[in-house]
Amino acid sequence: MITLNRSHVISGEFLNAQTIRFNGIQDDHIYSMEITMDVRISDGEILAIEGKMKRYTNSFCPQAEPILQTAVGMSLREEGWERRVMKEIGRKGCEHFAEIITECGHCLDQARLSEAMWESLQNDPGLDQEQFIQSWIDGHPEIQLA
Amino acid sequence: MTIRFLRNKVVEVEPQSDGSLSVSWRLSDDLLKAEVNLKVQLPDLEIVDAEAELERHVPRAWHSAGELIKKMKGVRIGSGLRKIVQGLLGGPDGCALLAHAVLESANAVILNFTRPVVQAGEKLEGEEKLESIREMVKANPRLIRSCVAFQDDSPIMQGLDL
Repeated sequence: MITLNRSHVISGEFLNAQTIRFNGIQDDHIYSMEITMDVRISDGEILAIEGKMKRYTNSFCPQAEPILQTAVGMSLREEGWERRVMKEIGRKGCEHFAEIITECGHCLDQARLSEAMWESLQNDPGLDQEQFIQSWIDGHPEIQLA
Repeated sequence: MTIRFLRNKVVEVEPQSDGSLSVSWRLSDDLLKAEVNLKVQLPDLEIVDAEAELERHVPRAWHSAGELIKKMKGVRIGSGLRKIVQGLLGGPDGCALLAHAVLESANAVILNFTRPVVQAGEKLEGEEKLESIREMVKANPRLIRSCVAFQDDSPIMQGLDL
């Protein structure tokens, strides 16, 4: 039987041309957490964040919820951003919150690419999708696909 | 408002009859479908088999993922894994997705061993529960200052002479 299962579900909602709202859920046999955060698309800066702990291991864990606010102003594009998230949010707060933020960060450019391809397909259903993706990647040197 | 992007990821640990652990890591989003399977041998948590398959719209730079993942054979899950994985799967010729998959799979293996410990602690209350958490910290010093619950001023850490 499966003795440990961990799932992440990350959704990306484009609030407008400048901002994407991520909702991230982490659920496993031990923990259940959720993060909602708004990110500025141009530079990856976290503009707002909320977190909810639904299942955790001890009564001190929820003290990590207010520490989440230190993520506001961090950029998901700056050098070493994953280490910074783990240090500031994970070590001082909750590593599971940090893991969800990191996963949302990994989705930033993939979500932009999905949005761009969706829009292009509306105009051209016969679009060569492979060529579109490679052109988009080549035209956006800032991206970090993961 | 409809969303324009959705990613589902799951990692599962399944003990095998030969004593090893099978770890299945899978990802599916609007553009990418990926699967990484590891076989982990106990007791030293050595990765003895590793396979990866990427489908849907795979960036050109990741086309060698199926070969790259084989570099993980012989690596042990333990301290220093992050640096080892970065060295083997990271960099311009690597595949960041595979590196994440391996690290998340390794984390799942650790959580797999943590689950029974956490479950045993659930039967306890009050000071008895605190004491059991303190014992866990003594056995796993890496937990110290690893999160808000294990900071120096936490009631868990107070009374611990480490």
